[in-house]
Amino acid sequence: MKSIIEKTLEKLPILFFTFISLIFLTPIILILTSLFQGYSDSWQHLFQTVLAEYLTNTTILVAGVSIGVFVLGVSSAWIVTTCDFKGKKIFKWALILPLAIPPYIMAYAFTGLFDSGGTMNNVVNSIFNIDENYNFFPSVRNLGGAITIFSFTLYPYVYLIAQTAFTNQSRDVFDIARTLGLSKKSTFYKLALPLARPSIIAGLMIVAMETISDFGAVEHFAIPTFTSGIFRTWFGMNDIVTAKQLAAVLFIFFLSFLLIEKYSRKKIQFNLSLTTNRELVPIKLYGLKSLLATIFCSIPILIGFLIPITQLLYWTISFNLEYFDLNFVYSAINTISLALISGIFCVSVSIIVNYLLRMKENRPLSLINKAISSGYGIPGVVLALGVLDLFSLINIFTDTMLIGSVFGLILIYSIKFYALPNSSIESGFRKINKSVDDAALSLGSTKLNLLKRIHLPMLKNSSLIALLLISIEVIKELPATLILRPFNFDTLSVSAYMFASDERMVEAAAPSIAIVIVSLIPILLLIKILDRNKNE
Amino acid sequence: MNKLKLDRITHSYSGKKILDNLSLEILEGEIVCLIGESGTGKTTLLRIIAGLERQEGGSVLLDNEIISNQSSHLETHKRNIGLVLQERALFPHLNVLENIIFGMDGTKEEKINRCDELLSLFKILKYKNSFPHSLSGGEQQRVALARALAPNPKIILMDEPFNGLDRALKFSLRIDTKKILKQNNTTALIVSHDFNDGLTCADKLAIVSEGRITQIGKPKDVVLNPLNKDIKKQFICETGDMLYWKSVIESETT
Repeated sequence: MKSIIEKTLEKLPILFFTFISLIFLTPIILILTSLFQGYSDSWQHLFQTVLAEYLTNTTILVAGVSIGVFVLGVSSAWIVTTCDFKGKKIFKWALILPLAIPPYIMAYAFTGLFDSGGTMNNVVNSIFNIDENYNFFPSVRNLGGAITIFSFTLYPYVYLIAQTAFTNQSRDVFDIARTLGLSKKSTFYKLALPLARPSIIAGLMIVAMETISDFGAVEHFAIPTFTSGIFRTWFGMNDIVTAKQLAAVLFIFFLSFLLIEKYSRKKIQFNLSLTTNRELVPIKLYGLKSLLATIFCSIPILIGFLIPITQLLYWTISFNLEYFDLNFVYSAINTISLALISGIFCVSVSIIVNYLLRMKENRPLSLINKAISSGYGIPGVVLALGVLDLFSLINIFTDTMLIGSVFGLILIYSIKFYALPNSSIESGFRKINKSVDDAALSLGSTKLNLLKRIHLPMLKNSSLIALLLISIEVIKELPATLILRPFNFDTLSVSAYMFASDERMVEAAAPSIAIVIVSLIPILLLIKILDRNKNE
Repeated sequence: MNKLKLDRITHSYSGKKILDNLSLEILEGEIVCLIGESGTGKTTLLRIIAGLERQEGGSVLLDNEIISNQSSHLETHKRNIGLVLQERALFPHLNVLENIIFGMDGTKEEKINRCDELLSLFKILKYKNSFPHSLSGGEQQRVALARALAPNPKIILMDEPFNGLDRALKFSLRIDTKKILKQNNTTALIVSHDFNDGLTCADKLAIVSEGRITQIGKPKDVVLNPLNKDIKKQFICETGDMLYWKSVIESETT
């Protein structure tokens, strides 16, 4: 007979999962329930004045950025996967570098470069001896400028996913298509692209989420979007209920889009498991073709990384080296600590959840896991509203004040970015053959030992990748941090935003460059691990 | 009349000669099976004929016209050569019908009629609207064969087409394949490491060793009079079943 303690211990993981699900889902549910609350006069006002503009701008922005990242990400991924040209090895990883620059930092750098009296206009004016008030470059503080900066900072998401999809496509399928009359060029449009569709769509969805979620860049360019509208409704009109209702509409819109895409794929599969999956053999490019490939791959790195970095470095070194004092050290420590703690927490949760799902296939559990991963589709500002509501509830029931605490920040990062470690750990578990579990259990291992001695060592790489992915996102996160941070608690992103919101661009450069450098560490580690995994 | 002629084909990988002055002629409507152990350059030869790789030396002639030599090289998609691989390589995002009409010309109605005809021949008409992942290995291979035959290719090349299937399925698929190829008067070159493929399907067996053809002839002649010990040993290792002897004799009499 099992004792009560043993029975409780057995149920501990399920209890943990239930607790986590409750914590993760409550803010989302609280936002959605706001739709059933009364509608204030603000709605009438929003309808009559700015709602159409919010919708139009957000739609144009998402559509433009999607086209931009598709062109940049998919074509560069296709070129580095299928062609052999000068510098290919460097481009393969250098094309990921713009991931280190959040859109709002890019926006700061771009205004410094292209505004009236900006670096680029000054350079052109001095070269051609033109009047210093003449602006050669058009202003970037508009939708076109925003589309450009989002495209060049966010394309690596599509690039990374598309590159993996193209690399995994079988050479045999392309060979057969060629014998069936398809030219080399047509194989890209008629086969490679349709086969990579789910991956590319997944990349585009991430980009769309990031674009919709952004607050810093659109605010800097003064473009009214849905997210900046939520901010304004909350802080400007002091109407938190309407802000939540706007947020709920945005979330439902996003969810519908995801479901429509999933439904449109129906029962189609995009890969067949082949016993020997021969990789595509890259075509060697010579002369002009090689040069064109090199130029094409250089453009995103130049615009998305090197030029903004140079501008930020120039500002920092010339005017603001004194920023790097003790306060900077505190901001950096705060940023890195938050990234690591949130990362470790999320990775641990996703390991436990996926282990539970592996041990006992359970549809409701699996659905809940999907639901708690949906936080990635919710803008940080929206989640912050939900988390504030949750904290108010906790405050009412337990008299514990969590608003403005580090715990609140870690919770919001975990809810927002849980999807990243979850997908990495999920695929890590999938790679471990279930017969390994059977073998260990038949050799007398307990389930806990199986996790400790077999799964965890085999999940080392996936866990590290998950930790790095979430760290990159936390380091760059701005709107939620801005709302929920404790009093007098600065992170690098908050410091950069504070300076930039006062139009003190030169001073914003130092924390901005610090964000880029701190983000680069996990990115470079990630590139190294992914490369090592591929070679293995 | 020669359908395909390979004239002194030479090719190497990383300095190692894979094909060494290999010559072979295949007549119109003839099924030839190239038998050899792994690494003897059989697949490379198929890729050269299909135009997916270019040989270092020698010529490939199709219908007495040079399609590849040192000075000219007709691209794969212009050759009208069918290819079937061991891995099937079906397009996973297209259903059976869409896979089969992928390389066909003509009106939609013509394509669908041709597809129905082939699916009936291969006894898989009911899977017309299914996706590849829902089919068994044998059914997938039938779709792959139908897809290669659909555009009426000048010649069909098959690389270990029956590998990975269970014994009974292999046997029935070999018989069906031969029947359909003969019905359509399709010229075919099959490469395999398995003598049984050649004994059941082919009009001629060609033994390839060290990059060249060491013996060629009717299956019965090759089997009964192997030129050397290696061929004899390989044959004994891979067959051992009188069922195949029966099929050899039957194939000779039909």
